[in-house]
Amino acid sequence: MNTPLIHLIDDDAAVREALALLIGTVGLRVQPWADPLAFLAGFERDTIGAIVLDVRMPGISGLTVLERLVAEGVDQPVVMLTGHGTVELCRRAFKSGAAEFLEKPVDDELLLEALQNAVRAHVKSRERGQADRSARERYAQLSPREREVLGLIVAGLTNKEIGRALVLSPRTVETHRANLFGKLEAESLAQLIRRYALLVDADAAAP
Amino acid sequence: MAERSLHAAWPGWLAGALVAVAGAGWIAQRDLDRQHDAFDTDARIAHRLLSQQVVQHDAVLATLALLQPGSSGAPEAAPEQRLPALYPQVLRVERRERGAAWPDPSWQAAEALARERQRAVIADMDFAHGRYTLLRAAEPTSFALQIDIARMAPWSEWPMQRDGPVRVALQQSGQTVVLQPGRGAGGPWRFDFAKHLATDSQPFEMTASRSVGFGDLPWFVMLAWTAAVAGVTAALAAWRRQRAARRRAEELLRLGQVGRLNALGELAAGMAHELNQPLAALLANTQAARRLLDDEPPELDTARHAMQQATLQAKRASEVVERLRRAVQRPDSQAGARTVALAEPVRNVLYLLEPECTRRSVVPRWNGAAGSADVHADPVALEQIVHNLVMNGLQALEQVPPAERELAIEVEHGSDGTAALCVSDSGPGIAAEALPHVFEPFFSTRSDGLGLGLSLCETLAAGMGGTLSARNRSPRGAEFRLTLPLATA
Repeated sequence: MNTPLIHLIDDDAAVREALALLIGTVGLRVQPWADPLAFLAGFERDTIGAIVLDVRMPGISGLTVLERLVAEGVDQPVVMLTGHGTVELCRRAFKSGAAEFLEKPVDDELLLEALQNAVRAHVKSRERGQADRSARERYAQLSPREREVLGLIVAGLTNKEIGRALVLSPRTVETHRANLFGKLEAESLAQLIRRYALLVDADAAAP
Repeated sequence: MAERSLHAAWPGWLAGALVAVAGAGWIAQRDLDRQHDAFDTDARIAHRLLSQQVVQHDAVLATLALLQPGSSGAPEAAPEQRLPALYPQVLRVERRERGAAWPDPSWQAAEALARERQRAVIADMDFAHGRYTLLRAAEPTSFALQIDIARMAPWSEWPMQRDGPVRVALQQSGQTVVLQPGRGAGGPWRFDFAKHLATDSQPFEMTASRSVGFGDLPWFVMLAWTAAVAGVTAALAAWRRQRAARRRAEELLRLGQVGRLNALGELAAGMAHELNQPLAALLANTQAARRLLDDEPPELDTARHAMQQATLQAKRASEVVERLRRAVQRPDSQAGARTVALAEPVRNVLYLLEPECTRRSVVPRWNGAAGSADVHADPVALEQIVHNLVMNGLQALEQVPPAERELAIEVEHGSDGTAALCVSDSGPGIAAEALPHVFEPFFSTRSDGLGLGLSLCETLAAGMGGTLSARNRSPRGAEFRLTLPLATA
């Protein structure tokens, strides 16, 4: 994985350069954008990082850009910067999904901490997303019978009880159990339940 | 708004016209009724007087028949011949001795009728000449009176002018005698009266009539009424106009204040943005430089570049401030200066702020009559200063109970070619530590104040070659003194 990338969107060249320099001092890579529309069209969605967005820009307001990002499902956290912050503006920014709302001129500690937090949060959410995806893939490999058995295990039934419920011999239940532990790459019952309980519930809720 | 008040005035005038016409009509009707009553009363009186006269004729004849005065040829023996002297309407008295004949043979039949009816009867009617003969049969002598109708009416007691507008006539058997001719027939209104005289012997019908023309209407009263209504309508319209104008002035004033505040807010927002950009860059550059210098080893080149950028941004910020100052620089106040009576802006301001004063139950004291100093000043700037000072005073007075609120405006003549306008209040005064700063921009003791009012006032006063000073009064309150050069004649 590359070092996190910060997208910095501000129409003022001096501000852009200075902020880029400042953000660079903590080892974050910065990609500056002068034009918000060019940014929307061209930035890479997959990288780990965060977005710093000025509210007041010619052509399109920072809030509009934020709303488009959210609508697109972009998961990078957005830090809003404004020169003339009002409560109303702040409220709208957070409602639209901003991670942070800072006033210009911004103190370096505040901005850098906000960015580091944002990056950490983004990394974590990406990891969680990754884990979810692999769990879903493994779950998909189970046979219908194995899913039934898994459901009853998650519900807290013993092998004997499962056999009675599904009209199977305890031995067959034992086999299914060993198979599904193997397919789901679970090392303990606790791990199995923690990772797959939600998936099982979602599966049971669906017809 | 002007159009609205114009439209709104029309119903007022229409209502006024209706009231005027209705009132005039009512007055005319009342007067006609009154004239009719007067006519009726007069006609009744005339009828009664004439009735009394004809009854008198009956009585005279009855007396003659009863007394039977002597019948020899001598005048003393015929006292009835003296009757015409007593009664001017009696032209002649005739008598017929038993066996003798009447001068007119047709009277025989009348006498026979009179005898049969046991009362006087009319023997001869000659209305063409305004006379008739009344005859009474008696024994041995019968008498007859020839009567002049024109003299019959007792003119001394007559209720009407003989040459007045009422026509009075007596009618009998198709013959008519006009007692008075009346005037102006054919008017739009007509009063009539008809009644037989109250005796059986002379049942003449008395008719009275009067024609009332437009000229008889009470035009003076009606015109006076119309004029009064027009006056009241005009006064109402003027009052409404004045009220609308006043409301408009208040609205304009309020709009002006809101507009100024909005413009100020816009200016502040623009200024904030313009300054924020270089300040943001400046801050970020210096902070980045410090971090770069803290690095081990320090990145000197990049840090140097950051500091150069910071310098550039500081210059940029200062240019913004300079540009702003040039943009809002006021034109020289001296340019609009002319001779102004110091009382004029005070009167205007007190008029404008009257609602504010009323709301705070403050009655400003103002020696306007005495203060007639002419100063050399810009009237607009002067009014703005006075407005600010009075408004400040009013706001200060909010902090003391209504009964103790006093605001005084005085004009004083200086000895050195200046005049001073003092605005003093009985408010809490100015705190000692705040007093040196009251004219500084953005200094305010009110939480919602911008702190620009007094600063602006002082700048304006200085621009006109005057001064503005503040001090506390004892026992309490503040006084602001605006000193301006007198106008050189």
